[in-house]
Amino acid sequence: MLVLTRKLGESIAIDDHIKIVVVQIKGKQVRLGIKAPKETKIHREEVYQAIQDQNTAASQSTPADLARLNEDFGKK
Amino acid sequence: MKVNTTRFGELQVNKEDIINFSEGLLGFEKLNQFFIVDPGDATLILWLQSIESPETAFPIIEPKIFKPDYVAKLLPADMNSVKLENISDAKIYSILTIPSEITSMSANLKAPIVINNNKKIAKQIVLQDNKLSVKYEMYKELKSYIVSYASDDRNRTTVSAPESKTTSNETSTEANIRRNESINEA
Repeated sequence: MLVLTRKLGESIAIDDHIKIVVVQIKGKQVRLGIKAPKETKIHREEVYQAIQDQNTAASQSTPADLARLNEDFGKK
Repeated sequence: MKVNTTRFGELQVNKEDIINFSEGLLGFEKLNQFFIVDPGDATLILWLQSIESPETAFPIIEPKIFKPDYVAKLLPADMNSVKLENISDAKIYSILTIPSEITSMSANLKAPIVINNNKKIAKQIVLQDNKLSVKYEMYKELKSYIVSYASDDRNRTTVSAPESKTTSNETSTEANIRRNESINEA
């Protein structure tokens, strides 16, 4: 992994079109500004982790779960 | 071809029904081939079954069923990733998580499965919209949709309303009969 040191207000350019700026430093928090073409996807890493967790939970389902739902929906 | 599955036993799958996920799903990157199993029950939930892993299957549903205003806003790069030229060629599904307490079942609206229906190429696409939840609880919405769907049919069979009183979008009696049959099967 490439590691760079930046001060407040300084930035990093990735390729020709992506720019990351250090906007604010407050204690243990860093605010970053990201300039990128519209089609670039930018997410917090936790989003991917959350999706992965949901996928794993979903894959544990069984037809018995659907049967229970089916029965429940059949009730008025 | 014959495919072995933990949940459904051995199934016959046509080659043209195999859906290719070149990147897999998040957390399941090594599984690239899936097909859809329709259990044909009233819940309208389908299964996305792995060919490579008999025990891996995800319950999926079309999100419009429980959230009519849902829009999966795809970027040009998303369209390219499943070789889509026209959004109308796509099928969109949400993966469902069904915990033991079924009333807290949820759908992943943030990262739907997008399938190019013609080319059978698919991807779990993470949408940029930050308001979309990965854990959208939708038990009530799904139940009310299904209960109204079922009671609709019951009215038609028992009351035998004159044609002018047909309230749904369906105008042909043939379609009504077909819907009744499918309810009976379930």
